[in-house]
Amino acid sequence: MDAPAKPVAAPVKTQGADVVIDSVGKTFRRGGRRTMALAGINLEVRAGELVCLLGPSGCGKSTLLRIVAGALDSDEGTVTVGGRSVNGPSPDRGMLFQTPMLFPWLTTRKNILFGPKAQRSAGLSERDDPELNAEADAILGTVGLDKFGDAFPHELSGGMQHRAAFARAIITRPSLLLMDEPFGALDAITRLRMHDFLLSMWDRYRTTIIFVTHDIEEAVLLGDRVAVMGGRPPGIQEVIDIPLDRPRHAVDADTESFLTAKRKIRASLTV
Amino acid sequence: MAGWQPLASGGTIEERLRIDDAFLPGGGEGGEPGLDERADRDDLAAYRRARRRARARRLGTGAAGLIALAVVWQIAATILRDPVFLPSVTQTFQTFLHYFDRPYPSQGSPLWYDALTSLRRILIGFGIGVVAGVTLGSAMSASRVVRHLIDPVIEVLRPLPPLAFIPLFIIWFGIGELPKDVLIIIGVTPIMAVTSVAALDEVPEDLRLCARTLGASRLYTLLHVQLRSALPGILTGMRISMAGAWTSIVAAELIAATSGLGYLIQQAGDYLNTALVLSGIICIALIALILDAGLRGLLLLADPSRRG
Repeated sequence: MDAPAKPVAAPVKTQGADVVIDSVGKTFRRGGRRTMALAGINLEVRAGELVCLLGPSGCGKSTLLRIVAGALDSDEGTVTVGGRSVNGPSPDRGMLFQTPMLFPWLTTRKNILFGPKAQRSAGLSERDDPELNAEADAILGTVGLDKFGDAFPHELSGGMQHRAAFARAIITRPSLLLMDEPFGALDAITRLRMHDFLLSMWDRYRTTIIFVTHDIEEAVLLGDRVAVMGGRPPGIQEVIDIPLDRPRHAVDADTESFLTAKRKIRASLTV
Repeated sequence: MAGWQPLASGGTIEERLRIDDAFLPGGGEGGEPGLDERADRDDLAAYRRARRRARARRLGTGAAGLIALAVVWQIAATILRDPVFLPSVTQTFQTFLHYFDRPYPSQGSPLWYDALTSLRRILIGFGIGVVAGVTLGSAMSASRVVRHLIDPVIEVLRPLPPLAFIPLFIIWFGIGELPKDVLIIIGVTPIMAVTSVAALDEVPEDLRLCARTLGASRLYTLLHVQLRSALPGILTGMRISMAGAWTSIVAAELIAATSGLGYLIQQAGDYLNTALVLSGIICIALIALILDAGLRGLLLLADPSRRG
């Protein structure tokens, strides 16, 4: 994909990585009790695809996401991202949480620069300050926070905090973004705006996204496919294609095809 | 790698997203309720100016409270006309200035020297106690076994008034500086251990995971996220234990010492020099206020959300 947009620009990488989740299982042991959290999970996510994991609380969707992130080890099966098997957390697999998890003692700009600077101190990157600052400026502009680079997290609204968290995750150039109910704690209106924001950013960066949610409408609006989770032991019940055109907007959520997809998922959940 | 470009581009975010409303007050959850009251979220500088003004007003009101106390004191002293029972503000102030650089009692030391003596004891004992407490707290937070081992010891020590140890420490460590330092350490360490554990426990698991997914190593995460995140809580613990340390040292000096502000107050009391007793007390209050202000300043540096 060597298609320089500007004369000086380096080759543009294809951002998304494919994800292969192969017969993953996980059992938690607490005291003498064993709880099977996941069993026999198989899922392939294509490079650049946005797949939603949908299911009720306790269906193991967050556990699965954490296994893909490398924060949890699976007991069975393997996960590979971009052909490499997952072993511990990596900046190649960015993660966004229900709360923005910004570092409250850092300004927006320094939050965004946390990843690059941590990587530099580990010798993983040699980018110097002027280069990093320029990139932070660019990303602040992209997420619409250019006036808030020097603001602290508590000085931002909820939506702005989530956009800052997105900027912080995307500056490390992940090929996969893992999102764990990222907008679950927002009010309904801010949430709509964040959906449009995410769709636009995904359009821009083309990373692969696995998006965990318990909201059917959110799953249909965002996903290329929706993996419905549930059952005992918890697993993927069904993977449903969402044949809606792109680009999508939150305002389109009442069209006929949208409602059809929603109905299909609801049926799958109540079986 | 500088040329890493998004694939799709064009148009500002506002044009593409119609999210400008999110900048307006109430445009999203999060933060304190007070945040949404400001008229214009767009102007960070104006918002911060307003918060600074509110802070200055608060400080002004606080100073007024102290001035009112001094006025009541002065009026009461004027009515009572008994300088042994209650000297006036002006008498106390004069005594303070008089003995500031003159020894009291005559074979003793001047006020400034006693103040420095007490301060030195505080800083040594407090410094060692804080380091010991934070180290203990970190070990307890990191290891379940250590926690279960040390927790009961702290729970036994914590409710004890350190003053109860004074006779014991005199037997063990004599009457020099050591028993006083140990007394402060014994008071500060459990408080610092408990507050450090609480502060470290409060750091969300996901905050650490977040740092790790951004490429931070385990060590970098420990230092730059976990300890950094616990810092405001640790500083709050330091403010609490600093107050306790003052109580301990002055009491110890009242009972068993030949120097320090507590000793000065004791001597002045014996000779019914009430103005000097009050001078010593005010001196303690001033030093404690300054030390606490220093810690508060550090706390504001460590936790931006407390500013304003």
